Amino acid sequence: MSYLEIKSLSSFYGKAEALSNVSLSVEKGEIIAIVGANGAGKSTLLDSIMGMVKQKGTISFDDKTISGKSTSHIVKQGIGYAPERFSLFPYMSVKDNLLVGAFTAREKTKDNLAQVYSLFPRLAERETQETATQSGGERQMVSLGRALMSSPKLLLVDEPTIGLAPKVCNEIAVSLRRMRDDFGLTVVITEQNANFAMTLAERIYVLEAGKMQIEGTVEELKSDNRLIEAYFGT
Amino acid sequence: MGLRWYHFTAWGLFAIGLALLPEIVSKGTLRTFIFANYLVIFAISWDLLSGRTGYISFGHPFLIGIGAYTSAILTKRFGIDVELAIPIAVIVTMIGGLIVLLPALRIRGSYFALVTLAFMELMYQLVQVIRPDLTGGTRGMSGIQTLTRGAVNGFYFSSFLMFVIAISSWFLLRTRIGTALTAIGLNESAVEGSGLSVTKLKMFAFMASAFVAGLGGAFYVHYLGSLAPRALFDINFVFTIIVAVLIGGASTIIGPIIGALFLTFLLEYLRPYLPGAERYFIYGGIALLLYMYQPKGIYALITSGWQMLQEKSVK
Repeated sequence: MSYLEIKSLSSFYGKAEALSNVSLSVEKGEIIAIVGANGAGKSTLLDSIMGMVKQKGTISFDDKTISGKSTSHIVKQGIGYAPERFSLFPYMSVKDNLLVGAFTAREKTKDNLAQVYSLFPRLAERETQETATQSGGERQMVSLGRALMSSPKLLLVDEPTIGLAPKVCNEIAVSLRRMRDDFGLTVVITEQNANFAMTLAERIYVLEAGKMQIEGTVEELKSDNRLIEAYFGT
Repeated sequence: MGLRWYHFTAWGLFAIGLALLPEIVSKGTLRTFIFANYLVIFAISWDLLSGRTGYISFGHPFLIGIGAYTSAILTKRFGIDVELAIPIAVIVTMIGGLIVLLPALRIRGSYFALVTLAFMELMYQLVQVIRPDLTGGTRGMSGIQTLTRGAVNGFYFSSFLMFVIAISSWFLLRTRIGTALTAIGLNESAVEGSGLSVTKLKMFAFMASAFVAGLGGAFYVHYLGSLAPRALFDINFVFTIIVAVLIGGASTIIGPIIGALFLTFLLEYLRPYLPGAERYFIYGGIALLLYMYQPKGIYALITSGWQMLQEKSVK
Protein backbone atom coordinates (compact mmCIF):
# COMPACT_ATOMS: atom_id res chain seq x y z
CA MET A 1 0.00 0.00 0.00
CA SER A 2 1.22 3.49 -0.78
CA TYR A 3 2.22 5.96 1.91
CA LEU A 4 -0.84 8.11 1.25
CA GLU A 5 -3.63 6.26 -0.48
CA ILE A 6 -6.92 7.81 -1.53
CA LYS A 7 -9.52 5.48 -2.96
CA SER A 8 -12.70 6.64 -4.73
CA LEU A 9 -13.10 9.78 -2.68
CA SER A 10 -16.15 11.96 -3.15
CA SER A 11 -16.54 15.17 -1.16
CA PHE A 12 -19.58 17.31 -0.55
CA TYR A 13 -20.51 20.83 0.49
CA GLY A 14 -24.03 20.26 1.65
CA LYS A 15 -25.49 18.28 -1.22
CA ALA A 16 -23.17 19.66 -3.90
CA GLU A 17 -20.50 17.20 -4.95
CA ALA A 18 -17.12 18.96 -5.18
CA LEU A 19 -14.99 15.87 -5.78
CA SER A 20 -16.18 12.78 -7.55
CA ASN A 21 -14.56 9.38 -7.28
CA VAL A 22 -11.00 10.64 -6.95
CA SER A 23 -8.13 8.21 -6.38
CA LEU A 24 -4.52 9.10 -5.74
CA SER A 25 -1.45 7.49 -4.27
CA VAL A 26 1.74 9.03 -2.96
CA GLU A 27 4.90 7.10 -2.13
CA LYS A 28 7.14 8.00 0.78
CA GLY A 29 9.65 10.74 -0.09
CA GLU A 30 7.88 11.92 -3.22
CA ILE A 31 6.92 15.44 -4.20
CA ILE A 32 3.53 15.37 -5.88
CA ALA A 33 1.66 18.22 -7.50
CA ILE A 34 -2.07 18.37 -8.07
CA VAL A 35 -2.69 20.75 -10.93
CA GLY A 36 -6.01 22.30 -11.82
CA ALA A 37 -7.86 25.53 -12.52
CA ASN A 38 -9.95 27.53 -10.06
CA GLY A 39 -12.82 25.47 -8.78
CA ALA A 40 -11.32 22.17 -9.92
CA GLY A 41 -11.40 20.87 -6.35
CA LYS A 42 -7.74 21.14 -5.36
CA SER A 43 -8.34 22.77 -1.98
CA THR A 44 -11.29 20.47 -1.36
CA LEU A 45 -9.02 17.49 -1.94
CA LEU A 46 -6.52 18.70 0.66
CA ASP A 47 -9.32 19.68 3.07
CA SER A 48 -10.73 16.17 2.61
CA ILE A 49 -7.41 14.56 3.52
CA MET A 50 -7.45 16.70 6.67
CA GLY A 51 -10.96 15.53 7.49
CA MET A 52 -12.46 19.00 7.19
CA VAL A 53 -15.07 18.21 4.52
CA LYS A 54 -17.98 15.79 4.37
CA GLN A 55 -16.80 12.81 2.33
CA LYS A 56 -17.21 9.25 1.07
CA GLY A 57 -14.42 6.83 0.19
CA THR A 58 -11.28 5.80 2.03
CA ILE A 59 -8.05 7.60 2.79
CA SER A 60 -5.16 5.87 4.47
CA PHE A 61 -1.82 7.19 5.58
CA ASP A 62 1.15 5.15 6.71
CA ASP A 63 -1.00 1.98 6.70
CA LYS A 64 -3.66 3.52 8.93
CA THR A 65 -7.12 4.60 7.86
CA ILE A 66 -7.58 8.32 8.47
CA SER A 67 -10.87 8.96 6.72
CA GLY A 68 -13.62 9.64 9.21
CA LYS A 69 -11.14 10.71 11.88
CA SER A 70 -10.97 14.19 13.44
CA THR A 71 -8.58 16.77 12.06
CA SER A 72 -6.59 16.82 15.27
CA HIS A 73 -6.18 13.02 15.08
CA ILE A 74 -4.98 13.32 11.47
CA VAL A 75 -2.45 16.02 12.39
CA LYS A 76 -1.19 13.79 15.20
CA GLN A 77 -0.70 10.93 12.72
CA GLY A 78 1.87 13.16 11.00
CA ILE A 79 0.16 15.24 8.34
CA GLY A 80 0.91 18.97 8.30
CA TYR A 81 -1.27 21.41 6.38
CA ALA A 82 -0.48 24.83 4.93
CA PRO A 83 -3.93 25.94 3.73
CA GLU A 84 -5.13 28.17 0.93
CA ARG A 85 -3.79 31.75 0.84
CA PHE A 86 -1.58 31.07 3.85
CA SER A 87 -4.56 31.43 6.21
CA LEU A 88 -2.60 33.14 8.98
CA PHE A 89 -3.61 34.98 12.14
CA PRO A 90 -3.03 38.56 10.96
CA TYR A 91 -2.75 40.44 14.26
CA MET A 92 -0.54 37.92 15.97
CA SER A 93 3.24 37.84 15.90
CA VAL A 94 5.18 35.46 13.66
CA LYS A 95 6.16 33.42 16.69
CA ASP A 96 2.59 33.14 18.03
CA ASN A 97 1.43 32.08 14.56
CA LEU A 98 4.03 29.33 14.60
CA LEU A 99 3.12 28.30 18.15
CA VAL A 100 -0.51 27.66 17.20
CA GLY A 101 0.88 24.91 14.96
CA ALA A 102 2.76 23.37 17.87
CA PHE A 103 -0.14 22.16 20.00
CA THR A 104 -0.05 18.58 18.77
CA ALA A 105 3.74 18.24 19.23
CA ARG A 106 4.32 20.19 22.44
CA GLU A 107 7.46 18.38 23.62
CA LYS A 108 9.22 19.17 20.36
CA THR A 109 8.25 22.85 20.19
CA LYS A 110 11.80 24.10 20.78
CA ASP A 111 13.44 21.83 18.19
CA ASN A 112 10.77 22.47 15.62
CA LEU A 113 11.01 26.22 16.09
CA ALA A 114 14.79 26.04 15.58
CA GLN A 115 14.23 23.95 12.46
CA VAL A 116 11.73 26.45 11.02
CA TYR A 117 14.10 29.34 11.73
CA SER A 118 17.01 27.52 10.08
CA LEU A 119 14.86 26.94 7.02
CA PHE A 120 13.56 30.52 6.97
CA PRO A 121 16.10 32.78 8.71
CA ARG A 122 13.96 35.78 7.81
CA LEU A 123 11.26 34.58 10.22
CA ALA A 124 13.75 34.49 13.08
CA GLU A 125 14.63 38.14 12.40
CA ARG A 126 10.95 39.10 12.38
CA GLU A 127 9.75 36.90 15.20
CA THR A 128 7.77 39.67 16.91
CA GLN A 129 6.31 41.27 13.78
CA GLU A 130 2.57 40.95 13.15
CA THR A 131 1.93 38.90 10.05
CA ALA A 132 -0.59 41.49 8.81
CA THR A 133 2.37 43.74 7.99
CA GLN A 134 4.36 41.11 6.11
CA SER A 135 4.93 40.50 2.41
CA GLY A 136 3.31 37.59 0.59
CA GLY A 137 6.53 35.58 0.53
CA GLU A 138 7.06 35.98 4.27
CA ARG A 139 3.47 34.97 4.94
CA GLN A 140 3.93 31.82 2.92
CA MET A 141 7.02 31.07 5.00
CA VAL A 142 5.00 31.51 8.22
CA SER A 143 2.29 29.26 6.83
CA LEU A 144 4.79 26.53 5.90
CA GLY A 145 6.58 27.01 9.21
CA ARG A 146 3.33 26.65 11.15
CA ALA A 147 2.63 23.37 9.35
CA LEU A 148 6.14 22.12 10.25
CA MET A 149 5.58 22.87 13.94
CA SER A 150 3.42 19.75 14.29
CA SER A 151 6.38 17.49 13.32
CA PRO A 152 4.72 16.19 10.15
CA LYS A 153 5.90 13.34 7.97
CA LEU A 154 3.66 14.40 5.11
CA LEU A 155 3.19 18.06 4.23
CA LEU A 156 0.19 19.33 2.26
CA VAL A 157 0.62 22.78 0.74
CA ASP A 158 -2.27 24.52 -1.01
CA GLU A 159 -1.01 26.72 -3.85
CA PRO A 160 2.42 27.63 -2.50
CA THR A 161 3.02 30.27 -5.18
CA ILE A 162 -0.29 32.09 -5.16
CA GLY A 163 0.24 35.82 -5.60
CA LEU A 164 4.01 35.58 -5.31
CA ALA A 165 6.70 37.08 -7.56
CA PRO A 166 8.72 34.59 -9.68
CA LYS A 167 11.84 35.13 -7.57
CA VAL A 168 9.93 34.36 -4.36
CA CYS A 169 8.38 31.30 -6.03
CA ASN A 170 11.90 29.99 -6.53
CA GLU A 171 12.74 30.51 -2.87
CA ILE A 172 9.62 28.62 -1.87
CA ALA A 173 10.49 25.80 -4.30
CA VAL A 174 13.98 25.58 -2.81
CA SER A 175 12.62 25.37 0.73
CA LEU A 176 10.02 22.73 -0.22
CA ARG A 177 12.76 20.64 -1.81
CA ARG A 178 14.91 21.05 1.30
CA MET A 179 12.06 19.81 3.44
CA ARG A 180 12.07 16.61 1.43
CA ASP A 181 15.85 16.23 0.98
CA ASP A 182 17.05 17.40 4.39
CA PHE A 183 14.12 16.62 6.65
CA GLY A 184 12.77 13.55 4.88
CA LEU A 185 9.24 14.86 4.37
CA THR A 186 6.82 13.71 1.71
CA VAL A 187 5.24 16.73 0.02
CA VAL A 188 1.93 17.20 -1.78
CA ILE A 189 1.21 20.59 -3.33
CA THR A 190 -1.63 21.96 -5.39
CA GLU A 191 -0.87 24.40 -8.18
CA GLN A 192 -2.48 26.46 -10.91
CA ASN A 193 0.94 27.24 -12.29
CA ALA A 194 1.69 24.09 -14.28
CA ASN A 195 5.26 25.19 -15.05
CA PHE A 196 6.07 25.60 -11.38
CA ALA A 197 4.52 22.22 -10.66
CA MET A 198 6.64 20.56 -13.34
CA THR A 199 9.89 22.04 -12.05
CA LEU A 200 9.23 21.00 -8.48
CA ALA A 201 7.28 17.75 -8.52
CA GLU A 202 8.12 14.28 -9.72
CA ARG A 203 4.59 13.23 -10.48
CA ILE A 204 1.56 15.25 -11.36
CA TYR A 205 -2.16 14.72 -11.10
CA VAL A 206 -4.50 16.91 -13.11
CA LEU A 207 -7.83 17.64 -11.50
CA GLU A 208 -10.67 19.06 -13.53
CA ALA A 209 -14.19 19.83 -12.33
CA GLY A 210 -13.83 17.50 -9.37
CA LYS A 211 -12.52 14.55 -11.35
CA MET A 212 -8.99 13.22 -11.74
CA GLN A 213 -8.23 13.48 -15.46
CA ILE A 214 -4.58 12.71 -16.04
CA GLU A 215 -1.82 11.26 -13.93
CA GLY A 216 1.84 10.71 -14.68
CA THR A 217 5.46 11.59 -14.14
CA VAL A 218 6.65 14.99 -15.28
CA GLU A 219 8.54 13.31 -18.15
CA GLU A 220 5.41 11.56 -19.35
CA LEU A 221 3.29 14.66 -19.13
CA LYS A 222 5.77 16.83 -20.95
CA SER A 223 5.22 14.71 -24.02
CA ASP A 224 1.51 14.36 -23.43
CA ASN A 225 -0.61 16.87 -25.27
CA ARG A 226 -3.57 16.13 -23.04
CA LEU A 227 -2.16 18.21 -20.20
CA ILE A 228 -1.61 21.15 -22.49
CA GLU A 229 -5.03 20.74 -23.99
CA ALA A 230 -6.82 20.19 -20.74
CA TYR A 231 -5.02 22.89 -18.93
CA PHE A 232 -4.13 25.59 -21.39
CA GLY A 233 -7.16 24.97 -23.55
CA THR A 234 -5.41 25.02 -26.93
CA MET B 1 4.58 33.23 29.24
CA GLY B 2 7.10 36.01 28.79
CA LEU B 3 6.67 37.49 32.26
CA ARG B 4 8.85 40.51 33.03
CA TRP B 5 9.63 42.42 36.21
CA TYR B 6 7.33 45.27 35.17
CA HIS B 7 4.36 42.91 34.95
CA PHE B 8 4.77 42.02 38.62
CA THR B 9 5.44 45.65 39.51
CA ALA B 10 2.32 46.81 37.71
CA TRP B 11 0.06 44.21 39.36
CA GLY B 12 1.70 44.91 42.73
CA LEU B 13 1.14 48.66 42.40
CA PHE B 14 -2.44 48.04 41.32
CA ALA B 15 -3.06 45.94 44.46
CA ILE B 16 -1.43 48.53 46.73
CA GLY B 17 -3.42 51.29 45.03
CA LEU B 18 -6.67 49.43 45.70
CA ALA B 19 -5.69 48.78 49.31
CA LEU B 20 -4.88 52.46 49.99
CA LEU B 21 -7.80 53.96 48.13
CA PRO B 22 -10.24 54.14 51.10
CA GLU B 23 -7.69 56.36 52.89
CA ILE B 24 -7.64 58.82 50.03
CA VAL B 25 -11.13 59.16 48.60
CA SER B 26 -14.55 59.85 50.06
CA LYS B 27 -17.14 57.19 50.85
CA GLY B 28 -19.26 58.35 47.93
CA THR B 29 -16.39 57.80 45.52
CA LEU B 30 -15.77 54.38 47.06
CA ARG B 31 -19.37 53.42 46.29
CA THR B 32 -18.77 54.39 42.69
CA PHE B 33 -15.66 52.21 42.74
CA ILE B 34 -17.72 49.27 43.94
CA PHE B 35 -19.96 49.55 40.89
CA ALA B 36 -16.88 49.98 38.72
CA ASN B 37 -15.38 46.79 40.19
CA TYR B 38 -18.44 44.77 39.27
CA LEU B 39 -18.47 46.29 35.79
CA VAL B 40 -14.79 45.26 35.50
CA ILE B 41 -15.74 41.68 36.37
CA PHE B 42 -18.54 41.63 33.78
CA ALA B 43 -16.25 43.23 31.20
CA ILE B 44 -13.55 40.61 31.83
CA SER B 45 -16.15 37.89 31.44
CA TRP B 46 -17.17 39.37 28.09
CA ASP B 47 -13.54 39.80 27.03
CA LEU B 48 -12.68 36.17 27.84
CA LEU B 49 -15.24 35.04 25.30
CA SER B 50 -15.91 37.78 22.77
CA GLY B 51 -12.69 39.79 22.96
CA ARG B 52 -10.65 36.74 22.11
CA THR B 53 -12.68 34.39 19.97
CA GLY B 54 -14.66 37.03 18.07
CA TYR B 55 -17.96 35.43 19.11
CA ILE B 56 -19.68 38.69 20.02
CA SER B 57 -22.11 38.13 22.86
CA PHE B 58 -25.02 40.56 23.09
CA GLY B 59 -26.59 38.54 25.84
CA HIS B 60 -24.14 38.57 28.69
CA PRO B 61 -26.84 39.67 31.17
CA PHE B 62 -28.36 36.26 30.45
CA LEU B 63 -25.37 34.64 32.17
CA ILE B 64 -25.03 37.32 34.85
CA GLY B 65 -28.76 37.02 35.49
CA ILE B 66 -28.62 33.26 35.97
CA GLY B 67 -25.90 33.73 38.58
CA ALA B 68 -27.75 36.52 40.34
CA TYR B 69 -31.18 34.89 40.30
CA THR B 70 -29.95 31.45 41.34
CA SER B 71 -28.09 32.72 44.36
CA ALA B 72 -30.88 35.13 45.33
CA ILE B 73 -33.58 32.46 45.08
CA LEU B 74 -31.54 29.84 46.93
CA THR B 75 -30.75 32.12 49.85
CA LYS B 76 -34.04 33.97 50.14
CA ARG B 77 -36.62 31.36 49.19
CA PHE B 78 -34.90 28.20 50.36
CA GLY B 79 -32.79 29.53 53.19
CA ILE B 80 -29.60 28.01 51.82
CA ASP B 81 -26.37 29.48 53.16
CA VAL B 82 -24.82 32.05 50.91
CA GLU B 83 -21.48 30.17 51.03
CA LEU B 84 -23.19 27.27 49.33
CA ALA B 85 -25.59 29.28 47.19
CA ILE B 86 -22.87 31.16 45.30
CA PRO B 87 -20.93 28.08 44.12
CA ILE B 88 -24.22 26.48 43.03
CA ALA B 89 -25.11 29.70 41.19
CA VAL B 90 -21.76 29.58 39.37
CA ILE B 91 -22.32 25.98 38.30
CA VAL B 92 -25.85 26.74 37.12
CA THR B 93 -24.51 29.71 35.13
CA MET B 94 -21.96 27.44 33.45
CA ILE B 95 -24.77 25.09 32.48
CA GLY B 96 -26.54 28.14 31.05
CA GLY B 97 -23.35 28.92 29.16
CA LEU B 98 -23.43 25.42 27.66
CA ILE B 99 -26.94 26.06 26.39
CA VAL B 100 -25.76 29.23 24.63
CA LEU B 101 -22.78 27.29 23.34
CA LEU B 102 -24.86 24.81 21.38
CA PRO B 103 -26.02 27.28 18.70
CA ALA B 104 -22.58 28.89 18.75
CA LEU B 105 -21.02 25.69 17.46
CA ARG B 106 -22.98 26.11 14.25
CA ILE B 107 -23.32 29.82 13.68
CA ARG B 108 -21.04 32.80 13.97
CA GLY B 109 -20.83 36.50 13.21
CA SER B 110 -23.90 38.69 13.57
CA TYR B 111 -26.19 35.67 13.83
CA PHE B 112 -24.49 34.54 16.99
CA ALA B 113 -24.86 38.05 18.43
CA LEU B 114 -28.59 37.97 17.63
CA VAL B 115 -29.08 34.55 19.18
CA THR B 116 -27.42 35.66 22.42
CA LEU B 117 -29.60 38.77 22.42
CA ALA B 118 -32.61 36.52 22.03
CA PHE B 119 -31.48 34.45 25.03
CA MET B 120 -31.34 37.59 27.15
CA GLU B 121 -34.81 38.71 26.05
CA LEU B 122 -36.16 35.21 26.63
CA MET B 123 -34.77 35.20 30.13
CA TYR B 124 -36.32 38.63 30.78
CA GLN B 125 -39.73 37.36 29.72
CA LEU B 126 -39.42 34.04 31.52
CA VAL B 127 -38.48 35.31 34.96
CA GLN B 128 -41.65 37.40 34.96
CA VAL B 129 -44.00 34.60 34.05
CA ILE B 130 -42.54 31.37 35.30
CA ARG B 131 -42.84 30.88 39.04
CA PRO B 132 -43.13 34.57 40.04
CA ASP B 133 -43.37 33.27 43.59
CA LEU B 134 -39.68 32.40 43.26
CA THR B 135 -38.37 35.14 40.98
CA GLY B 136 -40.52 37.98 42.26
CA GLY B 137 -41.94 38.46 38.77
CA THR B 138 -41.80 41.95 37.27
CA ARG B 139 -40.97 43.59 40.57
CA GLY B 140 -37.89 41.49 41.17
CA MET B 141 -36.62 40.67 44.63
CA SER B 142 -35.50 42.69 47.60
CA GLY B 143 -34.24 41.95 51.06
CA ILE B 144 -31.63 39.57 49.73
CA GLN B 145 -28.87 38.83 52.20
CA THR B 146 -25.91 41.20 51.82
CA LEU B 147 -22.35 40.16 52.50
CA THR B 148 -20.83 43.47 53.49
CA ARG B 149 -21.82 46.55 55.42
CA GLY B 150 -20.64 50.04 54.60
CA ALA B 151 -18.70 51.47 51.71
CA VAL B 152 -15.21 50.52 52.90
CA ASN B 153 -16.03 46.85 53.45
CA GLY B 154 -17.95 46.65 50.20
CA PHE B 155 -15.07 48.24 48.39
CA TYR B 156 -12.43 45.89 49.78
CA PHE B 157 -14.59 42.88 49.14
CA SER B 158 -15.40 43.78 45.52
CA SER B 159 -11.81 44.89 44.87
CA PHE B 160 -10.45 41.59 46.14
CA LEU B 161 -12.87 39.65 43.97
CA MET B 162 -12.10 41.81 40.93
CA PHE B 163 -8.35 41.59 41.47
CA VAL B 164 -8.33 37.80 41.79
CA ILE B 165 -10.49 37.41 38.68
CA ALA B 166 -8.42 39.92 36.73
CA ILE B 167 -5.02 38.45 37.54
CA SER B 168 -6.13 34.85 36.97
CA SER B 169 -7.71 35.72 33.61
CA TRP B 170 -4.61 37.66 32.66
CA PHE B 171 -2.37 34.70 33.48
CA LEU B 172 -4.70 32.31 31.70
CA LEU B 173 -4.62 34.33 28.50
CA ARG B 174 -0.85 34.53 28.48
CA THR B 175 -0.66 30.76 28.21
CA ARG B 176 -0.89 28.84 24.95
CA ILE B 177 -4.61 28.58 25.44
CA GLY B 178 -4.87 32.35 25.23
CA THR B 179 -2.91 32.32 21.98
CA ALA B 180 -5.17 29.64 20.56
CA LEU B 181 -8.32 31.56 21.56
CA THR B 182 -7.04 34.71 19.85
CA ALA B 183 -6.23 32.60 16.81
CA ILE B 184 -9.84 31.38 16.68
CA GLY B 185 -11.01 34.98 16.49
CA LEU B 186 -8.66 35.67 13.60
CA ASN B 187 -9.03 32.51 11.53
CA GLU B 188 -11.03 29.63 12.89
CA SER B 189 -10.46 27.16 10.05
CA ALA B 190 -6.70 27.61 10.21
CA VAL B 191 -6.79 26.70 13.89
CA GLU B 192 -8.68 23.56 12.97
CA GLY B 193 -6.22 22.80 10.17
CA SER B 194 -3.38 23.01 12.69
CA GLY B 195 -4.88 20.07 14.50
CA LEU B 196 -6.47 21.88 17.47
CA SER B 197 -9.93 21.01 18.64
CA VAL B 198 -11.81 24.24 17.96
CA THR B 199 -14.88 22.83 19.69
CA LYS B 200 -13.00 22.17 22.93
CA LEU B 201 -11.35 25.58 22.84
CA LYS B 202 -14.64 27.37 22.26
CA MET B 203 -16.22 25.35 25.02
CA PHE B 204 -13.40 26.39 27.32
CA ALA B 205 -13.86 30.08 26.45
CA PHE B 206 -17.62 29.84 27.05
CA MET B 207 -17.16 28.06 30.34
CA ALA B 208 -14.52 30.52 31.57
CA SER B 209 -16.71 33.44 30.56
CA ALA B 210 -19.80 31.92 32.21
CA PHE B 211 -17.82 31.12 35.35
CA VAL B 212 -16.76 34.75 35.76
CA ALA B 213 -20.22 36.07 34.82
CA GLY B 214 -21.92 33.75 37.32
CA LEU B 215 -19.48 34.60 40.08
CA GLY B 216 -19.82 38.33 39.39
CA GLY B 217 -23.61 38.14 39.13
CA ALA B 218 -23.99 36.21 42.37
CA PHE B 219 -21.73 38.47 44.40
CA TYR B 220 -23.29 41.56 42.83
CA VAL B 221 -26.78 40.58 43.94
CA HIS B 222 -25.48 39.95 47.46
CA TYR B 223 -23.97 43.41 47.43
CA LEU B 224 -27.07 45.19 46.16
CA GLY B 225 -29.50 43.18 48.26
CA SER B 226 -32.09 43.49 45.54
CA LEU B 227 -32.73 42.43 42.00
CA ALA B 228 -34.76 44.14 39.28
CA PRO B 229 -35.27 42.32 35.99
CA ARG B 230 -35.71 45.52 34.01
CA ALA B 231 -32.36 46.89 35.08
CA LEU B 232 -30.57 43.59 34.63
CA PHE B 233 -31.84 42.40 31.26
CA ASP B 234 -31.39 45.79 29.71
CA ILE B 235 -29.79 46.43 26.34
CA ASN B 236 -28.03 49.47 27.85
CA PHE B 237 -26.37 47.17 30.37
CA VAL B 238 -25.06 45.04 27.48
CA PHE B 239 -23.74 48.12 25.71
CA THR B 240 -22.05 49.41 28.84
CA ILE B 241 -20.17 46.12 29.18
CA ILE B 242 -19.18 46.02 25.52
CA VAL B 243 -18.19 49.69 25.36
CA ALA B 244 -16.10 49.30 28.53
CA VAL B 245 -14.15 46.47 26.89
CA LEU B 246 -13.76 48.23 23.55
CA ILE B 247 -12.81 51.63 25.01
CA GLY B 248 -10.22 49.96 27.20
CA GLY B 249 -8.88 47.52 24.63
CA ALA B 250 -10.40 44.16 23.81
CA SER B 251 -8.57 40.88 24.31
CA THR B 252 -6.14 42.33 26.88
CA ILE B 253 -7.89 41.96 30.31
CA ILE B 254 -6.06 45.15 31.37
CA GLY B 255 -8.08 47.09 28.79
CA PRO B 256 -11.49 46.13 30.22
CA ILE B 257 -10.29 47.17 33.71
CA ILE B 258 -9.27 50.60 32.44
CA GLY B 259 -12.38 50.88 30.29
CA ALA B 260 -14.82 49.97 33.06
CA LEU B 261 -13.24 52.39 35.54
CA PHE B 262 -13.12 55.14 32.93
CA LEU B 263 -16.71 54.63 31.89
CA THR B 264 -18.13 54.45 35.41
CA PHE B 265 -16.37 57.61 36.55
CA LEU B 266 -17.06 59.49 33.35
CA LEU B 267 -20.78 58.88 33.75
CA GLU B 268 -20.61 59.65 37.46
CA TYR B 269 -18.73 62.93 37.11
CA LEU B 270 -20.94 64.10 34.30
CA ARG B 271 -24.03 63.53 36.41
CA PRO B 272 -24.13 67.00 38.11
CA TYR B 273 -23.81 68.78 34.76
CA LEU B 274 -25.90 66.49 32.61
CA PRO B 275 -28.34 64.64 34.83
CA GLY B 276 -30.29 63.02 32.00
CA ALA B 277 -29.49 60.71 29.14
CA GLU B 278 -27.39 63.45 27.48
CA ARG B 279 -24.41 61.98 29.30
CA TYR B 280 -24.53 59.08 26.91
CA PHE B 281 -23.81 61.47 24.04
CA ILE B 282 -20.52 62.36 25.68
CA TYR B 283 -19.52 58.77 26.18
CA GLY B 284 -20.68 57.88 22.69
CA GLY B 285 -18.57 60.74 21.35
CA ILE B 286 -15.47 59.66 23.26
CA ALA B 287 -15.94 56.07 22.15
CA LEU B 288 -16.34 57.20 18.55
CA LEU B 289 -13.20 59.34 18.63
CA LEU B 290 -11.24 56.50 20.14
CA TYR B 291 -12.39 53.97 17.57
CA MET B 292 -11.48 56.36 14.75
CA TYR B 293 -7.96 57.05 15.94
CA GLN B 294 -7.01 54.07 18.09
CA PRO B 295 -9.40 51.15 17.60
CA LYS B 296 -7.39 49.04 20.01
CA GLY B 297 -8.47 51.28 22.89
CA ILE B 298 -6.93 53.15 25.81
CA TYR B 299 -4.59 50.27 26.64
CA ALA B 300 -2.93 50.62 23.23
CA LEU B 301 -2.69 54.41 23.74
CA ILE B 302 -0.85 53.81 27.01
CA THR B 303 1.52 51.16 25.66
CA SER B 304 2.38 53.16 22.55
CA GLY B 305 2.94 56.24 24.75
CA TRP B 306 5.23 54.21 26.98
CA GLN B 307 7.20 53.00 23.96
CA MET B 308 7.58 56.57 22.67
CA LEU B 309 8.91 57.66 26.07
CA GLN B 310 11.43 54.81 26.10
CA GLU B 311 12.62 55.65 22.60
CA LYS B 312 13.05 59.29 23.58
CA SER B 313 15.06 58.43 26.66
CA VAL B 314 17.33 56.19 24.59
CA LYS B 315 18.10 59.09 22.27
